Amino acid sequence: MKYVGKSLKRVDGIKKATGTLKYVDDMKFSRTLHVAVKGSAHAHAKIISIDVEKAKNLKGVKAVITGRDFSGNSCCKRVGLYLEDKTFLAVEKTIYKGEAVAAVAAETKKIAEEAVKLIEVKYEELPKVTSARKGMKKNAPLIHPNLANYKYAPIFFPKPNTNISNHFKLRKGDVEKGFEESDLIIENEFYVPPIQHAPIENHSAIAKMDSDGSLTVWASCQSPYAVRRALSVAFDIPLNKLRVISPAIGGGFGSKAGTTLEGIIIPLAMRTNGRPVKLTYTREDEFVNSFIRQALFAKMKTGVRKDGKILAMKNEFIWDGGAFTEYGVNIVKAGGYASTGPYEVENVWTDSICVYTNHPVAGPYRGFGMSEIQFGIEQNLDMIADELGIDKIEIRRLNALKAGSHTSMGEKLDMCGLVECLDIVVGEMDFSKREKSSKPNKVRGKGVACVFKAPSMPTNVASSAIVKLNEDGTAHLLVTAQDMGQGSDTILVQIAAEVLSIHPDKITIKTGDTDHTPYEWQTVASRTTYCAGNSVKSACEDAKEQLLELAQIKMGIYKRDLELEDGHIASKIYPDRKMPISDLALGLTLEDGSGIHGPIIGRGVFIPPNIRNADKKTGLGDKPVVFWTFGSQGVEIEVDIETGQIKVLEVVSCFDVGKVINPQLIEGQVEGGIVQGIGSALFEELIIKDGEVKNDSFVDYKIPTADDMPKMTIKFVENPEETGPFGARAIAEVCMVAAAPAIANALHDAIGVRVKTMPLTAERVLKAIREKKSN
Amino acid sequence: MMKEFDYLKPSTLNGAHNLLVKHKREAYIFNGGTDLIVRMREEITNPNVVIDIKGIENLHEISYKNKECLSVGACVKLSEIPKYKDVTEKYAILTEAIHNIGSIQLRNRATMTGNICNASPLADSATPLLVLDAKIVIYGKEGLKRVLVKDFITGVRKTILETGEIVTAIEIPIYEKPIIGLFQKMSRRKMVDLSTVCGTVARINGEIRVALGAVSPTPVRGVKTEAFLRGKVLTDEVIREAGEIIVTDISPISDIRASKEYRLDMAKLIVKRGLVHIREGQLNWGEQSEA
Repeated sequence: MKYVGKSLKRVDGIKKATGTLKYVDDMKFSRTLHVAVKGSAHAHAKIISIDVEKAKNLKGVKAVITGRDFSGNSCCKRVGLYLEDKTFLAVEKTIYKGEAVAAVAAETKKIAEEAVKLIEVKYEELPKVTSARKGMKKNAPLIHPNLANYKYAPIFFPKPNTNISNHFKLRKGDVEKGFEESDLIIENEFYVPPIQHAPIENHSAIAKMDSDGSLTVWASCQSPYAVRRALSVAFDIPLNKLRVISPAIGGGFGSKAGTTLEGIIIPLAMRTNGRPVKLTYTREDEFVNSFIRQALFAKMKTGVRKDGKILAMKNEFIWDGGAFTEYGVNIVKAGGYASTGPYEVENVWTDSICVYTNHPVAGPYRGFGMSEIQFGIEQNLDMIADELGIDKIEIRRLNALKAGSHTSMGEKLDMCGLVECLDIVVGEMDFSKREKSSKPNKVRGKGVACVFKAPSMPTNVASSAIVKLNEDGTAHLLVTAQDMGQGSDTILVQIAAEVLSIHPDKITIKTGDTDHTPYEWQTVASRTTYCAGNSVKSACEDAKEQLLELAQIKMGIYKRDLELEDGHIASKIYPDRKMPISDLALGLTLEDGSGIHGPIIGRGVFIPPNIRNADKKTGLGDKPVVFWTFGSQGVEIEVDIETGQIKVLEVVSCFDVGKVINPQLIEGQVEGGIVQGIGSALFEELIIKDGEVKNDSFVDYKIPTADDMPKMTIKFVENPEETGPFGARAIAEVCMVAAAPAIANALHDAIGVRVKTMPLTAERVLKAIREKKSN
Repeated sequence: MMKEFDYLKPSTLNGAHNLLVKHKREAYIFNGGTDLIVRMREEITNPNVVIDIKGIENLHEISYKNKECLSVGACVKLSEIPKYKDVTEKYAILTEAIHNIGSIQLRNRATMTGNICNASPLADSATPLLVLDAKIVIYGKEGLKRVLVKDFITGVRKTILETGEIVTAIEIPIYEKPIIGLFQKMSRRKMVDLSTVCGTVARINGEIRVALGAVSPTPVRGVKTEAFLRGKVLTDEVIREAGEIIVTDISPISDIRASKEYRLDMAKLIVKRGLVHIREGQLNWGEQSEA
């Protein structure tokens, strides 16, 4: 292949490297109004009154809104992707500290902020839910007393009159029988705290309502069409009057997948006579008012035969969904159905429970449940191996899903490259050898983890692409898959270039404008290369078909003997006989001067084939997900046994991605995933005490720096995905998942202590060392 | 969001002094600005007048004075200090501490004087300056006066500075014998982080000096530990005991960064590692292992 599989330079590289790419916050419109938001002072409180008079009377203030006048009536509409539980401003009560209770649009940011200070809110505090485990109990204070009336997709299971917004059940085989047959039963508990995505670009949005009632929203968002849909429902604006533009995204990691601040500025834009209204979050807002990752408390009971074969697993996953779980319910489902990890287990019983708390809204985060559950699964497996005296690689080989195995959901796998990946990792890192450390107070250790992930998306999500051929033989590619740094613009151009056989420099990709680029469900779920890639491939094949149709008339060669070759249509048999595609870009002109066909415009659509809903009662299904990406990572760490500090020295990674479209880009993406995984493993924790976020800035929320980078060896296996574009599968999320459990396993390998709570801070590790000593 | 303020940039010390006297509590000195601007953005500090002292030429000087001391002008950037002749050789404990303050970008703006005047309990440059017996040079209505660092910082974000007074430089004595010592910083992340605990342990002029940060309302000298170590040979037992005594010199608290217990452990470790370093250093210098 000419372009697929090559390390082409990023198509957005020059603009990003020179700082000339315009993000939403860079956009300037005349007469823009600036927004400030009044955040609630309490995590759970009834709103008795909001006095906005003083704010309204401040010079320069153009509009003030509260939850009450949100959509023209007393109670605003609830919206959400999977469960419609969300309002953009607090209505009647506030359910997390910092939730928007009112917002102001004013001539300057300064005036808006002054006005916000003049808004007086009277609250009556309510008992808070500050723990998911307590929140799911019967007598807990109810955060959403009207849950029974909320709309939701029928694949979720909210429990009215509780704080449980989804109770997913996986029931496979006979778990009790499995335990009976087991030689060893091991029980473990793990805790993963909330963390935040910390993208380099903060959320930003501008809304403008024209005199004809049409609304344009510029937003730094991963999913313009999903955002358009949610906003349309919330504000009763028909889709043809609502345009969402996402000009550029400086990192999302899930935090920009749904709707957040857009819903606050729109009601203001509706009241400002066509003036643009703008809000950009501060970093502090990012930590409290965008999305955070759901915390997980996991209880695992595993039964194994003495050779290490897992016979039964019983899991209880309790997730802290935060104030709204419109998106989070699906993370809980994904974590539930993947609860065995990438291993074949005949008997599985899993309860995965999403619980409302008075915490910031938890939602999608790279990994979508997998990082959280696999932190426990992979440590649990090492502990079993230790108990049985089995090699940690061997226990993984023994239990690993393989071709012909059945997954946790009972689906039969035709192909699975997991063991292949594990073998490559083992080949690169000798787990049987203990490396000598640099100092007497430091000890080295190695750990491994195997992981998997499927795109967590509904069964019928659609993608589309349009390719327009220009009269000089160049082309425009139109999609709404969004490049947020992962490199999708480049990947999709490479796919188009390959099919059209024109150089990628001749293709310009346009994304993120619901009025002009065709439908894409969302840029999430590690699905873009696969889903958007398939639609691009299909659009280009459509264009190719049109070209060949016309060429066979012009060239007098039957089209099955024609092919596209370097901007030409050429005979496969007589390569010298060819014509440039530019000659046909606007149609074919016949010898008598008459024209036929018109411009070449390729249209491609895609829905993952034959994905069916799983059984509601058991969670089982024959084809519940489109595919799984499997892989493994090994890490070597050094621990300072006097301070507890961990330094990650080396990471070896291997995933079966089906087909590498761009080696350099995918390597970068995996490196990023590893480092993000290291951050969550060692530093990151959003500390929430009594409903209040205590570390809402980079002063006390630490993510890795250049200094924390380990040596990284990145490998791939390419067992093609039958339905993928050129065999490609997925990589984006799964590459983050393994780092944390592998580090935890390496810690145990180094010094024999288990830390079952993330992150593995120096203090936590030192405490574990002390506890081990005193035992 | 930052409140509005007047920005004034005098070109003489006296001019700055007069402005400070005129505006009193309304005014804040603006030097590197890496603390002040952050606090202004967070509306913790809300000055009506900001007096930029960077226009005063002689505050930018760094030099050795009369073979007595190294004088670091108030406006000398942190990143410039280690580059000045022999500073890194003579005062490795100080340059190591400087290297651990914030990021490269921050050190290109921030000053050591600012780090000290900010009077944070965990100021990284404070512990080496404490053991070096550095003096703060203050310009006020009676001209110049000099105060030891330990007497300059009086509490969390509190100094002895009075209205109108400006720190012009920090003077660090020149010591004849080489200093053997270690600056250590325990933090959650190695780079660009605040100290969970920091400290300097050094042998200066034949005596062992200890100072710790982030374990008391101000960075402190380990007075009792130093007294205990006076005249003692650094045996394993003496080092162990010193590690226990340091606990009585400090009063750490639990906060978001670490628990009190972890801070106590790290304080002990800093003393232990520092003393081991001195013992090894003495052997390398061919000296007796007497303190």
